[in-house]
Amino acid sequence: MKLPELQARQVWTIVLIGYLIPAFIPLGMSPVISSGTQNIYDTIQSLPPNSIVMCGGGGVFAFDLESSAGLIAALKQMSKLNVKVVFYPMWIETMQFSKYCVDSARVDEKYGGPWKYGRDYVILPYIPGNEVGLVSFLNDVKKTVSTDYAGTPLTQLSIMDGLNSYKDITVWICAQWDGVTILRYVTGEYGIKVLWFAQSSAYSAFGPYMQVYPGKIYITNGALGGAQYEKLNDMKGLGHAALDSNVVFTLLFIGFLVLGNITMLYGDKKVKT
Amino acid sequence: MISPDPWVWLSAILTICSFSLLYGDNKFFRFAEHTFTAVVIGHNVVMGVFTLRDRFYLLYTGQKLLLILPLILGIMVIFMIWRKYAWLAAIPMAIMIGVSQGIIVRALVSTDVMGNVKAVISEGASIFVGNPADGVGTLIRVAFTITAVFYFLFTFAFKSTTSRPLEYFRTFGKYVLLIFIGIYVGNQSMQNSMLATSAINRLVRNWLGFG
Repeated sequence: MKLPELQARQVWTIVLIGYLIPAFIPLGMSPVISSGTQNIYDTIQSLPPNSIVMCGGGGVFAFDLESSAGLIAALKQMSKLNVKVVFYPMWIETMQFSKYCVDSARVDEKYGGPWKYGRDYVILPYIPGNEVGLVSFLNDVKKTVSTDYAGTPLTQLSIMDGLNSYKDITVWICAQWDGVTILRYVTGEYGIKVLWFAQSSAYSAFGPYMQVYPGKIYITNGALGGAQYEKLNDMKGLGHAALDSNVVFTLLFIGFLVLGNITMLYGDKKVKT
Repeated sequence: MISPDPWVWLSAILTICSFSLLYGDNKFFRFAEHTFTAVVIGHNVVMGVFTLRDRFYLLYTGQKLLLILPLILGIMVIFMIWRKYAWLAAIPMAIMIGVSQGIIVRALVSTDVMGNVKAVISEGASIFVGNPADGVGTLIRVAFTITAVFYFLFTFAFKSTTSRPLEYFRTFGKYVLLIFIGIYVGNQSMQNSMLATSAINRLVRNWLGFG
């Protein structure tokens, strides 16, 4: 018997169908909350009123989308608390990503949310210099940045009145790829607690930082962590969609693995005979 | 209901064009690829201009005249494109590299090196304290860290009476690294799967209006 050969196009078509099924018919997978995700939720929930929460880092929009699931849920959570959020774009695309997350979370008053720009949240402009810019910002905010992303002077934005240096920051949330720079400086050098909605690959590489600074750094694992955070906030977004897709993707992956092995073993047998 | 928003349509068409590469190289994919490249370059140029505006706001308003120095240094970088005056660009480049490396090395030593060493020592001390299940987890973490570091530090061949046990130690470190790579690649594929999910969800929900 001759085994049929699978073409790459056929494989991709099967994968596409696999992704389309949960997009049309959600499987309703429910994640188990990890301790890291629960700690992030508890930290935000226990923020004192009028706390200044920094939110930012360096990342590429497309990859940061994975972290958006957790960040959007966190923004919704913070909009119910009386805290101020300052977005810090360390890379160019972080600025657009911040705006995307605020719009998706529907927390601004233009979407019927409780937040007013300049009073409850602000998006700073792209701050070049990576580590240098970050250290400068933490030491003296007003000397490092003087306008918001739209060019409005910070003196005209009431939220910035209470933010002068790292001493005014209660917690730093990062949802970008380059969260490790934030960990190294914000926690490592200035002792500020960091909550990182990390991408899956960043989680596996930088997860040990939670052991280096116990109680100071909490990290979630990619879309799975995002789904957990959505569950804690009683909402279903990209995290849950990704969870469904990942189940189908994993089943397909195992299926192809089995098929590939059968084909290989059958081929070996044929060669020997 | 299908979205009436032209931007959603544009996003959907470009997404489908990008996915068409899976069928094979074609004109639609190349159109999406070139559009993406052009948009990224255009966006970065505009962002550069905006950054100049925002960063030197205090200079324009006369509140901080010293900002003229970084502005001059920035202009000096442009001379890199003229061979005759390229040496001028070396000055701001040297300042940039010197300052950033000083800050980076300082943080790397205190967090990645000293921080990790401290973490391994403190975790090592807590292996036999508290919940036994946590202790096993801690033991695995400490053993894996030490053997992986050992593998990198002792890359040469051992020639002594202790060479055999040390070689086992080193081999174990190698397997630890392979385990890490396996986990990393697995997580990377999860990340890529998430990106595909995100794009397909945009098509199905935002564009076609399902879900």
